Amino acid sequence: MPRERDEQHDIQTKFLDFTSVLKDAGVTISTVEVLDMFEAMCHVDPCDRDVFRQSLATTLVKDYTDIPVFDRCFAEFFEKKSGQKGFDFNIFLQDALNAETSGKRTGMTDEEMDRLMEEIEALVDTVIGENPEKSPQEIIKILLENPQESSSSGALGQLLFNVRSRSPEASMDTDMTGRGDRADDDDDFIEGMVRERIRRRVFEKTTGRVINKRDEYLLNRYIYRLTPEEVKEMRELIKRFGQKLKNRVSLRKKKVKRGGIDIKRTLRKNLQYGGTPFRIYRRDRKIDRPQLVVLCDISSSVSQYSRFMLLLTYTLQGLFSKVRSFAFISNMVEITPLFMEMDPERAVNSIFSDTNFTYGWGSNYGRCFTQFIREYSDSLTSKTTVLVLGDGRNNNQDPGLDSFIRITERCRNLFWLNPDRRHLWAWSDSIAELYMPYCNEMKEVRNFLDLSEFIDKLFVK
Amino acid sequence: MFIDVASTIESLEKEKYICSAEIATTVFLAMKMEKPVLVEGPAGVGKTELGKCVASSLGMDLIRLQCYEGLDEAKALYEWEYAKQLLYTQILKDKLSCIMENEKTLSDAVNRLSGEEDVFFSEKFLIPRPILQAVTSPRPTVLLIDEIDKSDSEFEAFLLEVLSDFQVSIPEIGTVKAAHRPFVLLTSNNAREMSDALKRRCLHLYIDYPTRELEEKIVSLKVPECGAALVAELVRAVHRIRELPMKKDPSISETLDWAKALTLLGCEVLKEDEAIRTLNFLLKYEKDIELAKKNRKEIFAH
Repeated sequence: MPRERDEQHDIQTKFLDFTSVLKDAGVTISTVEVLDMFEAMCHVDPCDRDVFRQSLATTLVKDYTDIPVFDRCFAEFFEKKSGQKGFDFNIFLQDALNAETSGKRTGMTDEEMDRLMEEIEALVDTVIGENPEKSPQEIIKILLENPQESSSSGALGQLLFNVRSRSPEASMDTDMTGRGDRADDDDDFIEGMVRERIRRRVFEKTTGRVINKRDEYLLNRYIYRLTPEEVKEMRELIKRFGQKLKNRVSLRKKKVKRGGIDIKRTLRKNLQYGGTPFRIYRRDRKIDRPQLVVLCDISSSVSQYSRFMLLLTYTLQGLFSKVRSFAFISNMVEITPLFMEMDPERAVNSIFSDTNFTYGWGSNYGRCFTQFIREYSDSLTSKTTVLVLGDGRNNNQDPGLDSFIRITERCRNLFWLNPDRRHLWAWSDSIAELYMPYCNEMKEVRNFLDLSEFIDKLFVK
Repeated sequence: MFIDVASTIESLEKEKYICSAEIATTVFLAMKMEKPVLVEGPAGVGKTELGKCVASSLGMDLIRLQCYEGLDEAKALYEWEYAKQLLYTQILKDKLSCIMENEKTLSDAVNRLSGEEDVFFSEKFLIPRPILQAVTSPRPTVLLIDEIDKSDSEFEAFLLEVLSDFQVSIPEIGTVKAAHRPFVLLTSNNAREMSDALKRRCLHLYIDYPTRELEEKIVSLKVPECGAALVAELVRAVHRIRELPMKKDPSISETLDWAKALTLLGCEVLKEDEAIRTLNFLLKYEKDIELAKKNRKEIFAH
């Protein structure tokens, strides 16, 4: 039954399209998962939305942090097309088999129809490949309205011409009378169909990419340039991203867990062999989790960075044995208790609405470091890693270098994250370069990815 | 056997397990496709319970393996009973020398003995641990591997053979293949990420806190003496509490405890004072209780 096999093939292609949308969006999917999906489809009734959705999710998505991404792809791919009524599998099926029905209307043979579809797909794929930065709307525009912009210019016209020159013969055989009207109708129909097909193809090919692009865009964007809406979006992303980072780091930690021989346990366990140590038991090496002290400048020039830094730190809190955080402008205040009482986001918000960080005018690093050594030096031990986040713009006040050196002496590591560009570190009122020789590293951070890469590195010995 | 997704929901409901279409779909598919399921989600949403209920509704035996740090193959797969082997050699000493009597040279004796060696490495001296039990069981079983995230990543490697081929290789005996493929459920609390190899072999199910309707159904099923009005109100309160930034969100089992407590106190509707007094059934941290008290107006608003 060749006809039926073709139908099956069309539907399979649709499902494969969906998996590539997911892959584009950054979900890892291997062949096993795709095969599982097809097997699952044989067992369930696809017309039930929840069952259908879950069958795809359960076979394809193995990382629960990817579920929100899956939901977005599913909504875009299956639900938008079925109109406003929500999900309807039959409409989706019709879509997949659309090629066939339109073939009958235009009088083209199946092979011709298949060839046309292939040509359309090839055309769309090249244009997308040539314009990796363009949004789907822009790509559709290039394809349908001003083909001059693409190297395959006029390809659409050529395509339509080919189709037209093909189809009249087909309809001439069947119906000679009233051909003029019908030919026009058919031409319109074919052109409409081709346009529709192009639109859909662009959409399918870009859905996943758009989602992934968005994440990448946000992660790479200069933090101080984020708009309030983007900041809101970032929070969700930080949660997801932080969770992934956490999973990765904890897996890495597990691997280096084994330590020296555990004499007590070895002897006890080997009693059954008459005390001969047949089997050696090793002690678990203590997982070395860093203690973290975060000092954040929250003056307006770096506040956005501090906000994300704090959010990320507390999302990853479980990875550190102890986290203490302090915020300052010209007065150092411990903000650890805030994070104990509420979730990181609320805590961060309440910091920024608080006002007791200022003493006098503008940032004063010197005064804050001195104050830190005087009041909070108990937080520094030989296991502590200190993170300073700030641009070192001291408003021409005393740098308090002695206090800063004392901080570096009393902790294991001190890293300084500086949102300013490297060449500005000694410019104007910035004294970052003065502090730099005493830090283990002073690093330029521009976007969220820099921040998270840095945190990730803290765990690699 | 479950016939379709709807009947899966029904049969699980008979075992007093109310589940969403998502859970039922995955369970049904796992049964049809004979694949293990990796269940993830917050604590107390009924991951372990799901395993138990699937077993009883399918009329299968449940074999449970609780994972912990340091769990090794000797505790999970099988172990040779060394003491018994030793004891038998001692008791059979005479018998052994009897057999060896006719052998002239040492090498003959060794050859003779190695011919008999299989006796000591046979199933008689093998202690089957949960996974081998599930594989060798004459009846179909549900194998529940609980809190897999607590085990070491080495242990995951042992599991791979079981999960994909449902067999266990014992070097001295050979490969033991399952007569009936067990229904395998693995649960995880996300303490750490599972390896990709393991995930690839499993279907994935994420169980989140239930919707209000579902939780109401669960409460009225599990605490039947609780009136409908009270159920609706207390579930609404719980859902509002879950929206607050709690240290630990109240789980389903804690909702049930609270419902039981309120019923025992003779409540028919949720009164704010009584609810506040019994909050410790629902919330396990002093900070959380304080936060809930602070937000009492919103939580108990009608």
